[in-house]
Amino acid sequence: MNWPDLSMGGYGFYVWGSYLFSLIAIVWELVSLNHRKKAQSRAQKRVSPGIFERNY
Amino acid sequence: MNIYKYASPTMFYPLAGKIIPWFAWPAGILFALGIFVGFFIAPTDFQQGDAYRIIFIHVPASWLAMFLYVLMALYAGVGWAFNARLASMMASSLSITGAMFTFLSLVTGAFWGKPTWGTWWVWDARMTSTLILLFLYIGFISLQSSIDDARRADRAGAVLALVGVINVPIIYFSVQWWNTLHQGATIRILQKPTIHGSMLWAMLIMLAACWLYSVAVVLIRLRCIILEREQNARAFAEVAV
Amino acid sequence: MLRWLVWRDLILAWRRRADALSTLFFFVIVVSLFPLGIGPETELLRSIAPGVVWVAALLASMLSLGRLFANDHQDGTLEQLLLTPQPLYLVVFGKVSAQWLTSELPLVCIAPLLGVQFGLSNETLKILVISLLLGTPVLSVIGSIGAALTLGLKSSGVLISILVLPLYVPVLIFGAGAVEASIMGLSPSSHIYLLSSLTLLSLIFAPWATAAALRISIE
Repeated sequence: MNWPDLSMGGYGFYVWGSYLFSLIAIVWELVSLNHRKKAQSRAQKRVSPGIFERNY
Repeated sequence: MNIYKYASPTMFYPLAGKIIPWFAWPAGILFALGIFVGFFIAPTDFQQGDAYRIIFIHVPASWLAMFLYVLMALYAGVGWAFNARLASMMASSLSITGAMFTFLSLVTGAFWGKPTWGTWWVWDARMTSTLILLFLYIGFISLQSSIDDARRADRAGAVLALVGVINVPIIYFSVQWWNTLHQGATIRILQKPTIHGSMLWAMLIMLAACWLYSVAVVLIRLRCIILEREQNARAFAEVAV
Repeated sequence: MLRWLVWRDLILAWRRRADALSTLFFFVIVVSLFPLGIGPETELLRSIAPGVVWVAALLASMLSLGRLFANDHQDGTLEQLLLTPQPLYLVVFGKVSAQWLTSELPLVCIAPLLGVQFGLSNETLKILVISLLLGTPVLSVIGSIGAALTLGLKSSGVLISILVLPLYVPVLIFGAGAVEASIMGLSPSSHIYLLSSLTLLSLIFAPWATAAALRISIE
């Protein structure tokens, strides 16, 4: 095991740039899904509450 | 045990919910392991220096971009042929993740190209084909989002996806032809480096991680789509958490 | 049936001559804009001519595709055509043929004049016409898939372009490549052969996809 050279031999911008971009993409996907899920759940509850809940 | 009941969106919804953690956690672990092997164990490349480490995310992204397109066409076709709603919903869910991976493949490819070839973008066969694949994904997503009726959107998307999947080899071949004829003397076609040992392992681990991640994310989105489309089904109210 | 359908569409297009002519003028204007944007240097123009003419042909086709099924859909004729005992494949083939005759054939005929604008030699002009002659049917027939899928949607014009332009890439590559090979003095035959194979394949298989898409869009 060898500790990596953090500047990536001068190419640090490109390597870390790509990984940062990938991270942003993954996080964006998860956050937007979460948001979509929450919005839908709220709408769902308005339409048809569970058997122990009331919506009036 | 009757497994065909899971062809119903309402029945599949809780099953998907149970499956997701089994893909999400291993994905996270494999991501961490892949990064560890890729950065701490794999040595610096002789030709490209440390810039080559981008392939650990670029190659999985490209592979998944293409794989998810074929899968999407398959599910859409099944949904059309067997009139199966759930399969079409799966295709719609796959499309967005696939488009994201295609975009990621293009961006990481550009980031890789700058230090190794000197330019951000080069019109080689693979990059150009990936760009066109992105357009195909965008076409599918646009078509489905512009049709209000859900079943018509499913079937129209299926026709488009199937036409697209047949065209992808033709497009790839024609772009490769075009590229070899126009090969600029200044920019070499990227040769895949003979990769071995820990580099290969890191790439394979990252590939597995991305694949597991895709499964988890696609299933999460599938649940959202089921939630949106099955709102009015009475049986669904009991199942929706 | 096929002959009747083509004839009917030709008559209808003749009554609306402006539509087909506007496609032609669009083609001419777009091609003429490029030298204005790039500069009048002959060598440069000669090198970009194949790409410019072909891309303009693609864009002009996109314009005419919106009309392919929309007019018939609006007055209900399309539904009647779907109900005929004749195969829908033939109906599609007929309509696509008529569209090709009215919208694409004028492009092919005027292309030599535009080629002269770009300083192409006679031999190259011949190849330009042949490549367009072989390639424009593919544009019509693959475009018909897009037209059928987006039938009746709002903003279908732009959507057709997004759907269909990626599928046009092989035709563009081989068509423009043939002309370019001719300019460079090489033999364009390989491009022409590949282009013809694309034409044959798409003429055989694409109407089937269009027919399926029509059935989906009209329920």
